[in-house]
Amino acid sequence: MSIVSNLRADPKRELWFAWYSTVAFYSLYSVVFFGLTRTQPPGKPWLEPEQTVEWFAGRQDGLLVGFALIFVLGGWSATAIALIAYSIRRMSVSRAFAYSYLVLYLIAAVPGFLFICVAMTVGAMRPERSPEAQQWLYDLGFLSFSGTMGVFLVGSLIWMTAILLDKNRVFPRWFGYLNLCNALTEVVIAPSWIFQRGVLAWDGVIAWWIDVAVFGTYTGVFIYLLREVIVRDDFGRGPLPDAPPGRPRRWHPLAKVVR
Amino acid sequence: MAELDGEVARPGSGERVILWSLPAVVVIWMAAFLLFPGFVPPMSPRASATEVADFYDENLSRVRYSMILFNWFCVAFIPILMLIAERMRGMAHRTPVLRYCVIGVAGAAPIVFLTSTVFWLIAAFRPDRSPELTLLYNDLAWITFTCGVPFLVGLCAFLALAIAYDAQERPVFPRWVAWFNVVIAVALVPAGFAGLTPSGPFAWDGLVSFWVRNSAIGLWIVVMAVALRQAMDREPGPDRGSSGDPARTEIGAEA
Repeated sequence: MSIVSNLRADPKRELWFAWYSTVAFYSLYSVVFFGLTRTQPPGKPWLEPEQTVEWFAGRQDGLLVGFALIFVLGGWSATAIALIAYSIRRMSVSRAFAYSYLVLYLIAAVPGFLFICVAMTVGAMRPERSPEAQQWLYDLGFLSFSGTMGVFLVGSLIWMTAILLDKNRVFPRWFGYLNLCNALTEVVIAPSWIFQRGVLAWDGVIAWWIDVAVFGTYTGVFIYLLREVIVRDDFGRGPLPDAPPGRPRRWHPLAKVVR
Repeated sequence: MAELDGEVARPGSGERVILWSLPAVVVIWMAAFLLFPGFVPPMSPRASATEVADFYDENLSRVRYSMILFNWFCVAFIPILMLIAERMRGMAHRTPVLRYCVIGVAGAAPIVFLTSTVFWLIAAFRPDRSPELTLLYNDLAWITFTCGVPFLVGLCAFLALAIAYDAQERPVFPRWVAWFNVVIAVALVPAGFAGLTPSGPFAWDGLVSFWVRNSAIGLWIVVMAVALRQAMDREPGPDRGSSGDPARTEIGAEA
């Protein structure tokens, strides 16, 4: 089962397209934020205006190229959201859950990741700008990115509620509770609007490191589980069947043991 | 069994009203484009803070009126995009995933325009502000407007794929519409890199990032309007979408 055959002939090709795009988008996201732009882990919230000038100058090309890639490919974030919305549609719950999730996460796109791209690009394109202005852009970038909270908070709760109410066995119940963990990261990040130093600041041990660990785990898990949903989906309305017997469960770390 | 929202457009459904709002929206967009003194010719990213502040000082009324107009009506394109999303119900897809993708980016794309008008209007709000801050708002507006193509690129790409996957005898949109969307997506891509250079064809006032990009958006609107109208004319009746094509299953038709 290669990518090409999945995307050409498979009757589930739209779902596979969305799934592979999800993997590609999150990979791009990691490369841009952690590698190219080095905006994750984030800069220090307590930098003086002059230090933010140096911060921008020290990564000018990375910021401009990295966020240009997001400007071009950021629309692919819609594939993950659409696939998750479909997974909720496949549940026994009302469509209202799926549409809520779709709308909430798409609203998040502009403040949640377009703003940081714009702020950092504007900061990087004129390193000669005044230190106060550069610090203003620095704050706008990091705070809009980590401080866009409610849409993800409520979105995760919507997904959690749908999973816990679902009678079609689309996701295991424990994943419903993992959504609660993701929702709680948005509570934990809230003090970063107040503190400039310490564990609760936007780069702090709690507000950043723990949140990233939870979000990373959550994302990896839901990408894996969405793949399982696609494999099991029979396009029906009732409970999802188990995975077809004998089918190689690729990428499962215990694949050989299980078979 | 199709449910009410699984059925497609019929006389009286109001879809024609939305379609015929398009010429008005296009006229308003053109008017806003021509009225804004910073578009013809596009403002230079090489202008100094003083030059930018002088520009707003001299053109205050036209900046305000044009951007208020665009703020009102940049989002008027969303109902047209929803007509395209509605046509996607008739495609031979088994799931609504690609339609959800299109609805998502269709909502986000005009919000990017909306955000840029906010920055332009703030820049014009206090002409006595320090030139440095006016330059900052001007940069924010131009980068948002020019580089903010991710949802437009996504829209074209998702539509192209949806049309390519619409494997039935009479597809909703003809195949060439898929290729047309690919070409437009490619034409929009360089604008995302406008922050990298203040001069040349890729700068925000350059041939590629300004003229090619905005012409591509204009051409997309015109061509897709024609294709949309043809698709709406072709639709046979209320039965479509509820039965017939075996490739279309209940989830895709009703969702």
